[in-house]
Amino acid sequence: MDTNDNWDEDEEEEFEFSRNYFLAKELASSAKKSKHKLTDIDVVDEQELREAASRIQPKHEDEIALLLDSYKTIYPEWLLALRCGFGLLMYGFGSKKALIEDFASTALTEYSVVVINGYLQSINLKQAVIALAELLWDQMKTKRRVLYRESPKSQQPLNSQSMEELLTLLDQAEIDDVDFFVCVVIHNIDGPGLRDSETQQYLARLAACARIRIVATIDHINAPLFWDKKMAHTQFNWSWYHVPTFAPYKVEGMFYPLILAHGSASQTVKTATIVLLSLTRNAQSVFKVLAEHQLSHPDEGMPISDLYSVCRERFLVSSQVTLNSNLTEFKDHELVKIKKHSDGQDCLHIPLTAEALQKVVFEIN
Amino acid sequence: MAPSRSVTDSIPPSTTPEVEENDLRPFFVLHKASSRRKDRTPTAQAKLCKRNELSSSPQSAKKLGGSMTEECDLHLFQQLQIEAFEIVWAKIESTIKDVLRDLNASVFDDIQQWVLECFNTTKLLGQHTIAEATRSFPVLNNTTPGKLFTAFVVTRNIEFVDDILTFEELGHFLKSHGCHVAKLSSMEFSLKNGISGCLKALLREFLGCAIDSADISILASWYREHVNYNKPLVLIINDLGRCSGPVLTDFILMLSEWIVKVPIIFIFGVATTVDTLRNILPSHALEHLCPSSFKLGAPAERMDAVVEAVLVKHCTMFSIGHKVAVFLRNYFINQDGTITSFIRALKVACLLHFSTEPLSLLHGRALAEDQKVRKSALSPETLLKYIDELPLYARNQITDHHTKQSTAEGLSELVTKQKLWSTAVLCLYEAGKYSRVRLLDLLCEALNQDLNLSRGSDCHVGDERYCGLSSTNDSCQQYSIMQSGGFISQIVRKVRDLPTGMLYQLIENWEKLTADISEIQEKLKVLQSSVRCEDGKSPRKSSKDNPKRSASRIPVNTDKDARLNSQAIAFLDYLVGNFLKPIEGMPFHEILCFKNVEKLQLVLIGDPRRRIQVDLLEFHKILKCSCCSKSGNALLPSRHDSSIMYSLAQEHGDLINLHDWFQSFRTIVLQNKNKRKQNSKQSPQPKKRKAINGSADQNEASVQARFCRTVTELQITGLVRMPSKRRPDFAQRIAFGL
Repeated sequence: MDTNDNWDEDEEEEFEFSRNYFLAKELASSAKKSKHKLTDIDVVDEQELREAASRIQPKHEDEIALLLDSYKTIYPEWLLALRCGFGLLMYGFGSKKALIEDFASTALTEYSVVVINGYLQSINLKQAVIALAELLWDQMKTKRRVLYRESPKSQQPLNSQSMEELLTLLDQAEIDDVDFFVCVVIHNIDGPGLRDSETQQYLARLAACARIRIVATIDHINAPLFWDKKMAHTQFNWSWYHVPTFAPYKVEGMFYPLILAHGSASQTVKTATIVLLSLTRNAQSVFKVLAEHQLSHPDEGMPISDLYSVCRERFLVSSQVTLNSNLTEFKDHELVKIKKHSDGQDCLHIPLTAEALQKVVFEIN
Repeated sequence: MAPSRSVTDSIPPSTTPEVEENDLRPFFVLHKASSRRKDRTPTAQAKLCKRNELSSSPQSAKKLGGSMTEECDLHLFQQLQIEAFEIVWAKIESTIKDVLRDLNASVFDDIQQWVLECFNTTKLLGQHTIAEATRSFPVLNNTTPGKLFTAFVVTRNIEFVDDILTFEELGHFLKSHGCHVAKLSSMEFSLKNGISGCLKALLREFLGCAIDSADISILASWYREHVNYNKPLVLIINDLGRCSGPVLTDFILMLSEWIVKVPIIFIFGVATTVDTLRNILPSHALEHLCPSSFKLGAPAERMDAVVEAVLVKHCTMFSIGHKVAVFLRNYFINQDGTITSFIRALKVACLLHFSTEPLSLLHGRALAEDQKVRKSALSPETLLKYIDELPLYARNQITDHHTKQSTAEGLSELVTKQKLWSTAVLCLYEAGKYSRVRLLDLLCEALNQDLNLSRGSDCHVGDERYCGLSSTNDSCQQYSIMQSGGFISQIVRKVRDLPTGMLYQLIENWEKLTADISEIQEKLKVLQSSVRCEDGKSPRKSSKDNPKRSASRIPVNTDKDARLNSQAIAFLDYLVGNFLKPIEGMPFHEILCFKNVEKLQLVLIGDPRRRIQVDLLEFHKILKCSCCSKSGNALLPSRHDSSIMYSLAQEHGDLINLHDWFQSFRTIVLQNKNKRKQNSKQSPQPKKRKAINGSADQNEASVQARFCRTVTELQITGLVRMPSKRRPDFAQRIAFGL
């Protein structure tokens, strides 16, 4: 029976999934963990890296253009789904920004379109909703010629209305024309600016409004987890379309740090060196004392009293006060951290790896 | 928004490769609705098209006119598609609503009665007779003041999404019976909203307009107004389990203090047990409630009712193929389990049907006409008329008159056959109620063409034998429908063993179901006549009401009972053999029947987790480029960078050493270049060396940049997580296997 087959298939799939997971785990633990460090890569200068990143030659441009062209034949189908009250959700690898903007500007010319850039870090959804309400309001006025039946609230300017009132305005069902709506294009509805659950709830309620249609893209594989069944089935009412474009995520990736440029050890060596070079010679020497201690005793920090006595011996500081001012400077630039030793003593510690520390010491010499 | 508007006005929608200003705005207006909106009514468009056709066809400028008509035709076509979808879906939706409402009708009545009783009781609290009011000691009643009447409506369903509609309907029902109804959801009872948020929402619901101050005395004075007074106040909260306990506690305590002025009656929706409340409310809040409970129908019952109305009785002629039915059932059973999602799946199927099958427009047209004239509009003649009225785009499959004629006739016959099919299924389902067969399962089997074919070949010999309705009664095994495994044979086996009383009942029900179909009625009459003659001998009541007595009669009557049972089976066999013909086997079924299960699955359930990985791993299959397709899965430098990187990542465990990853990426992308370099080294041109060295640096930078970018891209898709502070040299893999 088909049912049994399907059950078997499903179970098989699930089994496959868990097996893969455990195999991967096993692989990680059994195989020798690679000891190679990110710092071993001879990274070019950050400036150069960024320049190179902006000059990357795209591959397969012709094929990608053909692929995008082939999607144009589906535009009528998308438009139909949209006009029948579904929301369009595009997914697949590659930036879909150009694709859906092209769709909006060729197929949706008869409707007003607002674009929300979900890939940005912070978005004020209410401002966007106000803009939507304004558009709809304008459209209604031109459509009816006569002014729409004024509710007492509508005399209030739109941007002082609450979200609830705005959503009610967008949900006016009494206009007979089903084809009367404003279209919202949301790039990356799973983006960082829209990710919190409150925003997603508002988006779902917006999507459920009678005068709103949503065209959105997702890129994250787990994006559907944002939506519970109510949101997914009754509010967004998604129609899914798989449209890989393989186009580079230019704007979407703008806010992600380059993995080789940021946070890597070479970077910290550089910043540490810059900070230290801007300090006095004595301060640099104090840092060197601390560094030497850490390199010879890698596992324990250096008690402040010890540092003070060594520095005094070498005539680097004259009093505890001078040392403290140096230490404050280090702490501010995160060159030094304080750890509690097992015997309760405060110990100083430089948050850099041994190699990085050696490089720093070498640089300031 | 003034600023955004000015920006869109000033910047033309040109696409420069660099990042535009608009890309960095949180939102902007792409364009406004074009002022020259076309007249969208189909009649107006049809006129326009006709005019185009007329004016262009005789003239020499045919091409221009032709393309114009084509465009116009396409436009009109989509408009018709939408109208067809809307009319069909609206009908299905309203049918579903009616069905669900009917199922809940008795519970709703009970609830309304209860509300009235509660209201009458609370009313007594506020009104004191003169004697009571003038008494020198405080007023004391039997009912303790401060008790809030509370109804728990047990939905018997974990998924509250299915009951949103139920509670909405309940609200409308109570409103139409003269109650003030407010509906709040668990969202209002969140800690963030707090008690004032709840109150505001409550005021908004009752008073119908937003009020800024959260003050319950506003509600009290509103309720004192003459128009509002003397009606029960009902508050419905449909998903109690999700409400925040402390907020709800405060809310209940506050309302209990106001009970005399604002006698609110609660209706709470709970999933499976009333214990939920005990878990979220402390005892001092609980003691203010005076509970009763009501039970809604089980989800499976609702499911069967929906399937019956939409897919078996065909409220709109829209039907689905066997594979689609099996998919829908599996989707319901294995994946989602909510009726809401099932209905949505139907809606998507309906949309796809109209979007992929041009002739399906006939279907919408016929239904629209059907509703107008209130009679079946599906004679071949009317259908022929509809075909002629179709836009060219849809009509191009059927051009000459002969085909049109045969299409119209075929379609008309199809509808008749479908009616017979659904009657057969309903009869089977009626019998299946004794063996608890779910209608959805039965439907899948009834739509299965393969089973039907095999049945047909078995049945052939037997056909004549059954004509006389069981001339032999020796063994039931001869009936072909019993031999095939599955639900139909399960049903038949149950009928074989059915006690006579139930059998009588069943036959009566069959009679009702087949009332307007003469072919089946005849057969049924034969069956009934034999029942009657049995009836004369053994009064029906005795066997029904007194199983003991019928048991004692066994030696005398088993023979006859068995004969009756086998006659009933023969009737079923006749139904199955003659009428249970799946729609997919008939000509022109495409017009009414949606079969494209792959498409439905794609549009209904996106599977980003799997598909994005497949995009990366089998990228050449999608782009169909000549360079990468040749080598199959080998990692060539020409492949998309992210594709190379993700394929490489597959070789790692759950942690990927970034250094190793980078090195293997570098090796692959530099493959060709190294070859080239070796070649150039051989050529004795020292001048070029330097240039090569220079480009090597550049190469290094560009490889690193590409590595960075692909890591970012994989991060955006969520397939890779960035190194943590604890493990700075390792990225984490998220997805394992497809």
